[in-house]
Amino acid sequence: MLSRTSNRSSTKRVRPRSANVRIRTDRMSPGLKAADQILKKNPNHGDTEAMKALILNSLGQTEEAFALAKTALKDDMKSHVCWHVYGILWRSVKNNEEAIKAYRFALKLEPDSPQVLRDLALLQIQTRDYQGYIQSRNLMLQQRSSLRLNWTALAIAHHLAEDFKSAENVLNTYEGTLKHTPSKGDIEHAEAVLYKNMIIAESGDVQRALEHLDTIYQTSPDRTAVMELRAKYLLQLDKKEEAEKAYRALLDRNAEYRAYYEGLEKALGLDKSQKQELKELYASYANKNDRIDAARRIPLDFLEGEDFKEAADSYLRAKLHKGVPSTFNNVKSLYADASKLKTIEGLVEGYQSEGVANGDATGATTKKDSFHETTLYFLAQHYNYKLSRDLKKAMQYVDKLIELSPKTYDYHMTKARVLKHSGNISEASKAMSHARELDIKDRYINTKCAKYQLRNDENADALATMSKFTRNEVVGGTLGDLTDMQSLWYLTEDGEAYARRSEYGLALKRFHTVFDIFDVWQEDQFDFHSFSLRKGQIRAYVDTLRWEDRLRSHPFYKRIAVDAIKVYLALHDRPILSQETATNGVDPTDAKAIKKAKKEAERREREDAERREAERKAAAAKKANATADGETKKPDEDPNGKKLRETKEPLAVATRFLAPLLEFGAADLEVQHLGFEVYLRKGKFFLALKSLLAAFTIAPEDPTAHAQAVRFRQACKPLDENKAVLDLASSSLPAPFNDAKADLASHNEAFVKQHADSPRHVYNYARALKALDPSSSQGQKTILEVPDRCKDVNLAQGLEGIALLRELGSEKASIQAFAKKLQDKWPAATILEREASR
Amino acid sequence: MDIRLLRSSDIPNVQLANLTNLPENYFLKYYLYHALSWPQLSYVAVDVSSLEYNASSNPYTSKPPKIVGYVLAKIDEDNNQTGHITSLSVMRTHRRLGLAEKLMRQSTRAMREYYNARDVSLHVRCSNQAAIGLYTERLGFAREKVESKYYADGEDAFSMKLDLVSAFKDEEKAAEGEGEKTDGVDEGGEVGEAGKKEEKKTVKVGRQLGVQSLVENVVQKPSQQVAGA
Repeated sequence: MLSRTSNRSSTKRVRPRSANVRIRTDRMSPGLKAADQILKKNPNHGDTEAMKALILNSLGQTEEAFALAKTALKDDMKSHVCWHVYGILWRSVKNNEEAIKAYRFALKLEPDSPQVLRDLALLQIQTRDYQGYIQSRNLMLQQRSSLRLNWTALAIAHHLAEDFKSAENVLNTYEGTLKHTPSKGDIEHAEAVLYKNMIIAESGDVQRALEHLDTIYQTSPDRTAVMELRAKYLLQLDKKEEAEKAYRALLDRNAEYRAYYEGLEKALGLDKSQKQELKELYASYANKNDRIDAARRIPLDFLEGEDFKEAADSYLRAKLHKGVPSTFNNVKSLYADASKLKTIEGLVEGYQSEGVANGDATGATTKKDSFHETTLYFLAQHYNYKLSRDLKKAMQYVDKLIELSPKTYDYHMTKARVLKHSGNISEASKAMSHARELDIKDRYINTKCAKYQLRNDENADALATMSKFTRNEVVGGTLGDLTDMQSLWYLTEDGEAYARRSEYGLALKRFHTVFDIFDVWQEDQFDFHSFSLRKGQIRAYVDTLRWEDRLRSHPFYKRIAVDAIKVYLALHDRPILSQETATNGVDPTDAKAIKKAKKEAERREREDAERREAERKAAAAKKANATADGETKKPDEDPNGKKLRETKEPLAVATRFLAPLLEFGAADLEVQHLGFEVYLRKGKFFLALKSLLAAFTIAPEDPTAHAQAVRFRQACKPLDENKAVLDLASSSLPAPFNDAKADLASHNEAFVKQHADSPRHVYNYARALKALDPSSSQGQKTILEVPDRCKDVNLAQGLEGIALLRELGSEKASIQAFAKKLQDKWPAATILEREASR
Repeated sequence: MDIRLLRSSDIPNVQLANLTNLPENYFLKYYLYHALSWPQLSYVAVDVSSLEYNASSNPYTSKPPKIVGYVLAKIDEDNNQTGHITSLSVMRTHRRLGLAEKLMRQSTRAMREYYNARDVSLHVRCSNQAAIGLYTERLGFAREKVESKYYADGEDAFSMKLDLVSAFKDEEKAAEGEGEKTDGVDEGGEVGEAGKKEEKKTVKVGRQLGVQSLVENVVQKPSQQVAGA
């Protein structure tokens, strides 16, 4: 069952026991009948109407339910049951604000109703109304003070409101009522005291936290937690000798956790300059056991020169002899240091000739092949990596490997990666498909294959690939299952492939699906507000609430938000794109092409509809046999995102995606750039300015801010309202943008002259020029010179140039000429041709 | 590669690892259910080399931990003396490092220490020789029985069990003798062939089940649900 629908049905299970009706799916219709019978005898009986409304809502008849609940309220305004039900209905459509209002009304009428109080409290913690939650939990505690969880809940309320003192007091008061110490097996108790320790530590009193921890240290079943906490406190309190012991004890349990080694270093008073001491320390751990990786790998971070070379040599040899294919992954972060990169390159190049000429140094003939092969594999990855890239060499190694072992899919996979880096996305996709065919039962390679297909715009093929490992009989087929299983990566890549082709409906559809999944994830915590209190695992619960508060700080969110905002900006700038005919990159002035595209779109829509209908029937047939767990999934009314694409307010929707980005990513340059773009178009000049100023602070020299500042000044020129205030605010921009009368045209020319060899400066010169003089074609001309003038232009910058030329309205012929020049630099990069011919 | 306890904030990336590697998938809430019911039992392997240690204040540029392996574990709802491995996976790109074994050792020890569990069970595809080798030879699991057509694609599963009491006998004895100090987990010997193909095993659990059903109707047996792709 769909997670979302099951969540929805779960909220319906929150039922008012006050009305003595248990609603279960299987008892739904008897409930309905009973309600109707009562209503026959007692029409306008508010409570019964309310209960009937609740049942209707459970059956998915939301509108009828709301109508009846309102009637119920009219019939019996003084019934807390009616208000409670009204609140439950709002909650079931996720309108927490209205639900809280209704619950409050219910409570006014019936202040002691534990059911209403509980529902209200759950929403208060869900919406992080800590003060309200404290109040509710206080009342609940008064009602049933014998339950430990009521005390714990109140403590949580105070703790989250950062009132550590009250939180601790509540827990202490309960502990004081205990007649004897709970048994060792009492998990609720063990957790509650550890939770108290967490509160003491967070209040900043480490000394007392340590003292308290010592009183529970021996009896706590959570050995890892108490050992980690103790080590941390000891270190914070500068009790180094004991801290050392504590960290050593932790390392004896788990020698693969860097935080423990770091703690031990600090306890020993070692800093990174004491290389000899550190080396010995790590050697002592490495010598304990062959299989410990961390103690061998960490020294490579701080050792230098000959010491590094020696350590790297023994580390690499050991791994390559074992045939560890992830050896390269384990060391590539060292490449940030160019000399370490060269050392490693030299060492492994050396092994290669060793392997061939002298055989394996250790003499183990059975492993000789593995050493040689793993070495070659290392080198293939090495030369494919961005900091040590030489794609020609990489391909030579890949070819050797494939010759040695043609059935090993990893080598074909690496081949696909090399091809991708050379810009040959179509061959990369083919190579990955070939790799997949070598092991069709392996989902990892299947996943990679689908991803490469999407990068090559093969959406349908990618979906077919994915279908090998999905449940395809569910509503919505393969895509429906991927959505149910919250496969963000697929939805994102799929959407991006559509966005590249200006198929904005489907692109937005995918981005919104991911956006909604984040809403589901936020909603997911709801059940745990009661569940975790019963389970007693409070520390994990509090951690989870804190994580949920920052849910959208995850890069998965940023990626689709940025994607979606860009699409909405395009829809705002060129409303014609929102029309069907324009969604295939068809020239809107070409009547013939439009007609053709329209026909094509109609055909596809028809096919889609037929397919959906078939899927629906199949799913329905399936469902008839299966035991129904919850409700039917409603068919999607806008599967192709047509409505999303045709929105009348693209900027308003974009703002919804933008808000969390600005909340969590204020220090992110790209976020501020987008903030500017959205707010400038909305005419929110102060907010645009705020983003612009932030962008200048984050990266004063970034060329994007130059173009944005010029555009900002141009946009402000015709303003009358607020002009004076705006000018004042703008004076904090860097010169010359702080001056409303500055000659920006000359500044822009000076800017491009000064950075003539930087593609990104040239692009932003062109963007600025467009704002200063829309009739000028000088910007486009300058861009066209980029392949000649900018020696270091990279592939991504080349692609950006193509996109910008199109945005500025360049002719297809000149875009293709631009791409052709770039193609001379990267002959294999078929992606250039693809992008230029859109 | 760090081996450490799973945190809630790891879950989106654990879910990604699961979706990338295995046919048996779960929605986020099911991971939360594990993390909030038995927070001591699930572990992750993290590629720390990809972490920027001097993480900036910008969450979007300081990348989240790259999860290259995980073990999702629980205590049997019907029998609180038995642990169960719900899902275990290591990325193909990080095999032969012994990660699966290290994850399993941490998780099973926590079952013993925290829940006083007597044994731990799991299911494994009968065709997955590498995983079977890890479980039986390196970790000491014993085959209990074959469960016919356990997986959604029709493959059979071995049901396996490990006696935790004897597995941790020595360690517990040492701990008793020396107070808090415990002997290191036995990790002697060379990395096995376990990594040849990443350990693919999950149990059929709760694909259709929201946590709510597990929460509200404790009597329901999630293991009876059909799952898998």
